[in-house]
Amino acid sequence: MSARSVAVTGLGLVTAAGIGAEATWRGVCEARPTARRDPTLQGLPVDISYTVPEFNAAKLVGRRSNLVHDRFVQLAVVAAREAVADSGLDPRTWDGARVGVVVGCGLGGVSTWEQQHRILLDEGPGSVSALLIPLLVPNMVAGHLAMEFGARGPNFVTATACASGATAIGVATQLLHDDQCDVVIAGGSEAGVSPLIVTGFARMGALSRRLDEPATASRPFDADRDGFVIGEGSGVLVLEREADARARGARVRARVAGYGASADAHHMTAPDPSGAGALQALRTALASAGVSPGDVDHVNAHGTSTPLNDAAESKVLHQLLGARATVTSAKGAVGHSLGAAGAIEAALTVLTLENQTVPPTANLENLDPAVELDVVAKSPRAQRIDVAVSNSFGFGGQNAVLVLTSA
Amino acid sequence: MTAMYDKIVDILVNRFEVERSEIKPDVTFEDLEMDSLFLVELLLVVEKELGVKVSDDAASPRDTIGRAAEVIEEQAAATTS
Repeated sequence: MSARSVAVTGLGLVTAAGIGAEATWRGVCEARPTARRDPTLQGLPVDISYTVPEFNAAKLVGRRSNLVHDRFVQLAVVAAREAVADSGLDPRTWDGARVGVVVGCGLGGVSTWEQQHRILLDEGPGSVSALLIPLLVPNMVAGHLAMEFGARGPNFVTATACASGATAIGVATQLLHDDQCDVVIAGGSEAGVSPLIVTGFARMGALSRRLDEPATASRPFDADRDGFVIGEGSGVLVLEREADARARGARVRARVAGYGASADAHHMTAPDPSGAGALQALRTALASAGVSPGDVDHVNAHGTSTPLNDAAESKVLHQLLGARATVTSAKGAVGHSLGAAGAIEAALTVLTLENQTVPPTANLENLDPAVELDVVAKSPRAQRIDVAVSNSFGFGGQNAVLVLTSA
Repeated sequence: MTAMYDKIVDILVNRFEVERSEIKPDVTFEDLEMDSLFLVELLLVVEKELGVKVSDDAASPRDTIGRAAEVIEEQAAATTS
C-alpha cells in the first residue's frame, strides 16, 4: 500500500441490467442484453434503448422525487445510497466538511428541457415550470447528493462526454491525495434516452440501426457492429485513502491506483486514428499507478460498438499491451450510458477484481479480425487479475483511463 | 372551508405529494416544506386545472392554505366576472 493508495470501500449500481450492484453484475456475467424497442422513441429514426427496469422513483427515492429530481438525479441517488451503505460509513456521524462529491454527467436533465421547451412553445412562458432550472442543470446531481448525505466538502460535476464518470473518479482520487477530503462519493449518472438526444446521435450516424433485433444491436468488437445503443444508469463508488479505510476496519473492495487523462485535439467526434491521445492517457494512468504495461492483466474497454471507436481502441491496446491482457466491454449487456458509463464500468472492474472473473462481452459473435486482442465472449472467464484498466473516451476527444488493482 | 380550499387541498395531495392529514386551513406552505419554487408551481397548476387566472404573488410560503385559498378565490372571481 503506497501513501497515495485510494481504496474503494463502497459501490452502487443502477443499470439496464437491474437496480443494485448484484443485479447488474449478474446481468453482465450472463451476457444478457436488455435493449428493446422503446415506446418513448416511437417514430424516430432509431427507437431502441437500454433503460433501467422497474425504476419507481417515488418509491425508491422519495415521495416528492418526481417533482424535484430529473431522472439523472434519481438514478444517482439510488446508486449513491447503495454505495454509502456498502461502505459502512454513517452520514449521520461523519464530518461532512471532509466528504466530497464528484459526479460525471454528459447531458443533465435533458428530458425536463425537452418537455418544458414544448410547453414554452405551445402554452407560453407563463406555463413554464419554476423548477425547470434546478431540474435540468447537470451540477444539480452533485448538489442533491450533498443534501442527501450532508456532504459539505468539494462538490461538482465533471463533463467529458462519455468519459465523464471516469474523469469524476480520477479527479476524486486527486482530492484524496491532496487531503482536501477524507471521503469522496464519486461516480457518474445519465438519463439521456430522450427523443431529441437520441435523434441527435442518430443524425450523427453513431447509433446502431439493427432496429429489428434490439437485444443484439450493441456488439462491441464484433465484425458486424454498426453503432452504439443508448442506455442510462448510474454508478457510484465511495473512495477513501487506503490507510484511513484500513484504520477503521473497512472492507477494501479494490484500489483506484492510477488515473490518466488527455485530449486528442483531432476532431469533434471521431477518435484520432493514430490513437495518440488514448495512448497518452493509458501511459499516464499506468505511470501514476506505478505499474508497467506488462503488468496489466485485464482491460474493461470503452468498447462502444461503433466501428470507429472499437477499431481505434483495439489498435491502441494491442500496441501498448500486446494480446496478453483479457478485454471486455459491458456495453453489449447494458448499452452506452454516456456520462455514467465510465463510472459504471469502473464499478464493474472493481467487481471483476473481487471475483477474479472477467464478464463476457455480450453479443460478440464474430471477433473483428482487425481486433488483435483476447476479448472475452459468451461466458465469464476465471482469471488471476492483479491490475486492471478501465478506458473511457468522450466526444470532444477527451480520454480518461483508470487503473484499478485488487485489494 | 370553501370549495376553492378543497380544490387546493386536492391539488396539494395529487400533484405535490402532500399527506392529506397534514393539510389544515391554518397550516402554512412552509410547514408542508413548500418553498417559493413550489408556490410558483402550485399557482401554475391552479391556473391550468381550475381554468382561472392568478398573479404570481398570490401566495407565499408563509401564507396559510386557508389564506391562499381566499386570495385565489378573489382573483378567480375578478377574472371570470
